[in-house]
Amino acid sequence: MLIDRCAHASPWRRISPAAKGLFALAALLGAYLAPSPGLALGLASGLALLTLAGARVPLPDYLRAAAPALGFLALGCASLLFSLGGPEGFSPRLLPEALDPAVRLGARSLAALAALLFLVLSTPLPHLIALLRQLRCPEVLLDLMALCYRMLFVFACVFRDGRTAQAARLGHAGAWRSLRSLGLLAAGLLPQVWLRALELHQAAQLRLGDGPLRFLAPNFPRARQELAWAAATSLGLLLGLGALA
Amino acid sequence: MSGEALLGFAAVCQRYEDGSRGLEGCSLSIRPGSRNALLGRNGAGKTTLLLHGVGLLRPTRGQVEFQGRPLDYSRAGLRQLRQRVGLVFQNPERQLLSASVYEDVSFGPLNLGLPEARVRQRVEAALAAVGLTDCRERAVHQLSFGQKKRVCIAGVLAMEPELLLLDEPLAGLDGPMQREFEALLEQLAGQGITILLSTHDVDFAYRWADELHLLSEGRCLASFPARELPRQQALLAAAGQALPAVLGLHRRLADLGLLPAEPPRSLDALLAALDGAAPDLKRNPA
Ligand SMILES: Nc1ncnc2c1ncn2[C@@H]1O[C@H](COP(=O)(O)OP(=O)(O)O)[C@@H](O)[C@H]1O
Ligand SMILES: [Mg+2]
Repeated sequence: MLIDRCAHASPWRRISPAAKGLFALAALLGAYLAPSPGLALGLASGLALLTLAGARVPLPDYLRAAAPALGFLALGCASLLFSLGGPEGFSPRLLPEALDPAVRLGARSLAALAALLFLVLSTPLPHLIALLRQLRCPEVLLDLMALCYRMLFVFACVFRDGRTAQAARLGHAGAWRSLRSLGLLAAGLLPQVWLRALELHQAAQLRLGDGPLRFLAPNFPRARQELAWAAATSLGLLLGLGALA
Repeated sequence: MSGEALLGFAAVCQRYEDGSRGLEGCSLSIRPGSRNALLGRNGAGKTTLLLHGVGLLRPTRGQVEFQGRPLDYSRAGLRQLRQRVGLVFQNPERQLLSASVYEDVSFGPLNLGLPEARVRQRVEAALAAVGLTDCRERAVHQLSFGQKKRVCIAGVLAMEPELLLLDEPLAGLDGPMQREFEALLEQLAGQGITILLSTHDVDFAYRWADELHLLSEGRCLASFPARELPRQQALLAAAGQALPAVLGLHRRLADLGLLPAEPPRSLDALLAALDGAAPDLKRNPA
């Protein structure tokens, strides 16, 4: 939801998703090919700056969106760096020989993460789905994605209403009762989900939709120029990285 | 009568799977180009009737007719019907299929098999008609309830139906929003779209509709032109509806000799009549 809010607020949402996708792809490639950890870190900070300053994503939101991935990354690097078990039992020990690969891995992953964040924080999911459709991603998969995305918010709504209704009748006074209420809510949600699915199917039929769910994405009038720009920047980025190697 | 009707119900009976009554001998007809309001209390069968109008439910006895011909419930028949009759549900959440406004509105016209350029024209026109052009890129879940309802209407309008069915279009909207919606309905009716909507707001029905249909316990008690409502109080009471507030007020004022006997349809009309009929009152409120 956080990511979604950022993407819909970003002024760069109006830029063609194909252009942003291409650039993000180049940046990913750059992260993978970056010859030194320093360059990868430079790339990561450049991408982060672009997302913050260009796509106008607020810093706290950026950090919150990045936090889970950063946590995993830190854990991964730490597991490379330290050895937990030794011959004499449990004793964390720094492995000096692992320092180099761990730093390299960390820096590259940071750059890759920054590239993905750039894309998802400036592009609403419906645009991404439209892009995947253009790239001939299987129809079923895309329908599923679109429906899941839409249902997510429908359920969040049903869930919130249920919670509020319970809270209003003191369903959450005390931890035990709270847990019980949550269980009731979850049980109540299932038939609702079923009903909603049926209803949406009916609604689709009324608008003559009985095959794949087809939608038309908004036009991106300057898509061509944007794509050209993205291609040029991507090429520059990769060549630059190559030259520095 | 049924010859000229766009949509007709002939003694339609239907029960839901759990045995509860949907419709029970319901007959009424909708003239092309008219504005119709279905009035009835909760559970009277208003929603059920609208679902019959688009072939989502099927009568067990009696029949539903479109342009004098019984509905064809085959796949192709329903497809044809639904190109000409659109339904807007009461709850927008059950109708919105895509997460983005623009995409959702494009769904119907794409299914009509129109070329992309035509679809885009229709989407723009429908969004403009409901006043949502600025929201075209928004995500559906970012919109207010009233805006979601508008998206639903746009999604149906984009298919350019001849008959528009709306289930409780004003329910859940605040006062100013209801006014906006009334203006929108006014505008749609002005374009020649036949409208049938359900409501339990008798004041609104009286000032907006050409034709009123009183529904009670699954049957249509009576259909009459809205201007005849002042003479149909007994039927109104039988359908569990109060008299429109403006009529009570008008009667008092007419008894006092301040207004002519012909009742106005809305509070605004009453105020205007009052201004015209008794200018001294306005100048000297004390
Ligand atoms: N899905 C359903 N299953 C069983 N009974 C239903 C269903 N929908 C409506 N009914 C019953 O049909 C009757 C008419 O309901 P409805 O058309 O929703 O009334 P209204 O829209 O006028 O409030 C009610 O008695 C209601 O209980
Ligand atoms: Mg209803």
